[in-house]
Amino acid sequence: MGHPTSRREFLKLATTGAAGATVGSGWRPRKASAKPAQITFLRESSYVKEFDDYFKNVLIPRYQQETGIKVNYEIVAAGGSAVPRLVSIVESKAPVDVAWVQLEWLYRDGLLDVSDIAEEVGKKGGGWYPAVKDLSIQDGKWKSVPFGNIGQVMVYRRDWFDAAGFTSFPDTWEEFLEAGTKLKKAGHPFGMSMGHGFADNNSWQLPLLWSMGAQVVDKDGKTIHLDSNETAKAVDYVRKLYKDACLDDCLGWTDPANNKAFLTSQISCTNNATSILISAKRDLPEMGKVTDQALNPKGPKGRFHSLVATTHGIFKHTADPEAAKHFLRWLMDPKQVTGWYRSGFMYYAPFVHAYDHDPEWDKEPRFKPDQKVLETGKLPSWPAPADRRAGEVLSKWVVVDMFAKAATGKSTKDVIAEAVTGLKQIYG
Amino acid sequence: MSVNPVLDAARPAPQAVAAPRPFRPREWLEREAVFSWLMLTPPMLFLLAFLGYPFCYGVYLSFVNRPVAQPATFVGLANFVNLWNDPIFWQAVWNTIRFTGAATVLKLVGGLGMALVMNQNFRMKGLTRALLLLPFIVPTVLSTVAWQWILDPGMGLFNRLLMFFNLVTQGPSWLGNPTLAMVSVILVNTWRGLPFFGITILAGLQTIPVELLESATIDGAGTWQRFRHVTLPLLMPVIFIVTTFSIIFTFFDFQLVYVLTGGGPANATHLMATYAYAISMGGGQLGLGSAVALAMVPVLGLVLLAMSWYVRKD
Repeated sequence: MGHPTSRREFLKLATTGAAGATVGSGWRPRKASAKPAQITFLRESSYVKEFDDYFKNVLIPRYQQETGIKVNYEIVAAGGSAVPRLVSIVESKAPVDVAWVQLEWLYRDGLLDVSDIAEEVGKKGGGWYPAVKDLSIQDGKWKSVPFGNIGQVMVYRRDWFDAAGFTSFPDTWEEFLEAGTKLKKAGHPFGMSMGHGFADNNSWQLPLLWSMGAQVVDKDGKTIHLDSNETAKAVDYVRKLYKDACLDDCLGWTDPANNKAFLTSQISCTNNATSILISAKRDLPEMGKVTDQALNPKGPKGRFHSLVATTHGIFKHTADPEAAKHFLRWLMDPKQVTGWYRSGFMYYAPFVHAYDHDPEWDKEPRFKPDQKVLETGKLPSWPAPADRRAGEVLSKWVVVDMFAKAATGKSTKDVIAEAVTGLKQIYG
Repeated sequence: MSVNPVLDAARPAPQAVAAPRPFRPREWLEREAVFSWLMLTPPMLFLLAFLGYPFCYGVYLSFVNRPVAQPATFVGLANFVNLWNDPIFWQAVWNTIRFTGAATVLKLVGGLGMALVMNQNFRMKGLTRALLLLPFIVPTVLSTVAWQWILDPGMGLFNRLLMFFNLVTQGPSWLGNPTLAMVSVILVNTWRGLPFFGITILAGLQTIPVELLESATIDGAGTWQRFRHVTLPLLMPVIFIVTTFSIIFTFFDFQLVYVLTGGGPANATHLMATYAYAISMGGGQLGLGSAVALAMVPVLGLVLLAMSWYVRKD
């Protein structure tokens, strides 16, 4: 046995270690001062590396150079971990000033009024797309400044569709089913996410419901409309689509699964953000050439899309609200934000009209559907208010599971009744 | 100075009585009572801060309506009544019980087998033992992502093997079929927890005196009888402890299901832990979410009771 540590030595070591840890962690009290030394900004990492790089290597140094204020950049992994982190920041009043915000209906009360910035950005940008206002405005005040929409569209293999005789992407849900049935028989099934994911499930199921004329909850935020003939039609449709056109596995998919299945050539079509096309172009050039994007098919009541909105908010508990506002105003100024949007190939479609015809959209026509999504895009809560209850409907997968249960063989009547029970629990 | 040692010894030592003993931190620290408390205080404070406080706060939250960023309002048992009438909650409860029961039995049987094999002498024994610990060492999130690939219907190892041996023409959907999804999460949990059982039971096996087994052999006991009447009874305390811990770990498992299925398809793998998280962090209902989490405590209580009963019995 080696030299044993005596109690005294142990205590000495422990005390030194604890002191070292305190000093080493860089802890310091935060005080509001005339000129802040630093701003802490939190953001979800992007699927588009160039977008992250632009922020880190161009925008942060530029702000530091112009103002002398250091920007602490905290990044959260993409894929659903940002919202829990934001919730915990609001609850624990963690020292974060400005953040890239999603699903803010959960914690709007913890965000500062940023109406002045939002109105200024909207004015400079030729006006906001109205759908996003329901998300950012609470009781007449802007609680977040909209940034961009992650367009959820149909991503498909043009070569396989062509071979099956579909030279253009199906325009209606009926044609979509027909194409899927044919392609599945040819060994190239669709992979429409139906599991407990974050966006890839709702982004085709809700538009399908809406386009059939069904609604989940009324705009009054009270009346439950789900139990209707239109919903029944949508449920029957999904059951058939799953059986005749889809890969069995998509029933259990979380969000990364359809990317994986598409990029490994297991499926011919899915609903996703541009990340699949970007990855295919970058990593699998042959597949990149034959991958295309299209808008959701339309139904009897029209064509719809589900918005995946990203915005920026300032936490109420920030030590220096003016400094945080200064940073956000600077960031959203066209001098900064235009380059940032473009660096990400417009992956985040701007919510102001000034970018509707941005030249960046012409560089890759296959990205254009992501811009068009804004014209028919609704928040997932639509037409009900985008509030906490709507968030609970999503986080309990009430609608997603209604379809999933139907796909596993349950009757249409039963699955709708179960979903309505779930909705009643939430909406009272 | 006196020169008579006898007189000196008889005389009381005046300085010892007159001057009070100076406080010496070193000596004070050397005292058993002081030192033990000094050693105990940091972990106790740690436990209070990171277990005691959150637990008490969780109990408090379960009796209030507490949306994120809003003040709490006392609602009594309303959250529990809400859960009582919530079919998803009950599904999560049954899923958790099935998941814990099946995984624990599999881990126990597998772990016992693993330990018995590892207790034999063979080449590369040390290396094999180290490798068997791998599932336990690799972070759960990482290994679960790997399992996502293994269970992939088209590219995955499982279906490739099934097809290679001509057992199926097209492999099943491991995570898309509700029943198979539950089987899959149980399987992955078993894989991850097996080394814990194996190594702990192996440690128990090595404490069994060889003489006992030898005398049983002399008395005519066969392999099975030696195992049944000598090894197993002596292993029982270890098996009991390891099973108890495993029940607790498995019952509260979150990461595996969260990463692998998110509780889907159609809540087929939703556990109480994942449901509590979905309500609290996804739905922003901290009160209701805490009520789900608190509903797990009675099970933990029962397990602890059984544990203390067993320990006392011995």
